[in-house]
Amino acid sequence: MTAPAHGRRIISVKGHTMDNPIKTLQDKKSYLDLRKQERVTLLEVLDRALTKGVVISGDIVISVADVDLVYLGLKVLLSSVETMERLRGAPIVGPMQEPT
Amino acid sequence: MSLYAYAIIDSTVGVEESIKGLSGAPVYTIPYRDIGIVISDLNAQIQKEDKKSVLKHEEVVEMLMDKFTVLPMRFSTLFSGKEQVLLMMKNYYDDFIENLDRLREKIEFGVKTIWPGDLIRERITTAHRKSDNLPLVASSSGKSFMNEKFENYKIDKEFEEEADRCIAIVDGFFSKFISEKRLEKLKTDNLLLSASYLVDNEKRDDFKKAFEELKSSGGDLKYMLSGPWPAYNFITLKHSGDGKFGGMDLVETVLQHKDPEEKDEK
Repeated sequence: MTAPAHGRRIISVKGHTMDNPIKTLQDKKSYLDLRKQERVTLLEVLDRALTKGVVISGDIVISVADVDLVYLGLKVLLSSVETMERLRGAPIVGPMQEPT
Repeated sequence: MSLYAYAIIDSTVGVEESIKGLSGAPVYTIPYRDIGIVISDLNAQIQKEDKKSVLKHEEVVEMLMDKFTVLPMRFSTLFSGKEQVLLMMKNYYDDFIENLDRLREKIEFGVKTIWPGDLIRERITTAHRKSDNLPLVASSSGKSFMNEKFENYKIDKEFEEEADRCIAIVDGFFSKFISEKRLEKLKTDNLLLSASYLVDNEKRDDFKKAFEELKSSGGDLKYMLSGPWPAYNFITLKHSGDGKFGGMDLVETVLQHKDPEEKDEK
């Protein structure tokens, strides 16, 4: 069994820190772009983890109600689209989170 | 105390190094036959909208991706004890094996396509109104009402046909590099396509190149690539536990859950 090659990981987004002061407009623009991308990444995670994957139903699990998760998923989706549309004017660089 | 489940893996041993999960609890593996389920103990009830918990869930799953074939659990799957976990593993074993075999060495990419759906709909509507010489404001008569209905139907149909045409073009960029796909069309008017693609690990770079070609293809569509993800969108459970109950599946599930004394083999 061979492990998947390293690639994007959500952890890389969490690596962003506030340590470096923003001194120039370019810094600020990069910071805002990064924050936008972080937000979209979060929404992509929510979209998957909240509604997809292995779904075990029935008395055997204790879980939040399926209905609540679906509603939450729908709210996430609408937020996701709104956020992506706000990114229309911003450069969309893909792949989004591939390590450089 | 509950047992929180992160993922099913094709290993009975799990990771060697310590991974911290929700509430900082160590993650461990409960084996069942030749597979395992990755768990941590949880004292507190998870807040439904706790985004930190979801990110932590994803972080654990992605660490597992480095070493194993992973079937990610949906967020907030909890069991009251080890017996319930093993009962579930027994019930779902065949499903898990099928999925692990199918998803081995594969990763998921997401491609979202935004188009100016509101403008396109407006353009189609205007073109229809002009060509059919219909008044822009419907009168109150029944005949006009039916005409209006039919007109809206034609506009919707043309809008969908335009969407289908664009989706086929976008999807066509990736067809050579994927083994499965899930396409969701027009979740909203402006989200033309939300696509998930299952890609062999060895074709990952080809897939990303195809995305770059798509981006360079021109037009006023916007694209976003995300991934690689654990294969959230490609889990298929024949067992009724996928949430869709009905008929014999429901009967079978109820009967299984009514037998808590059953002892499970490891």
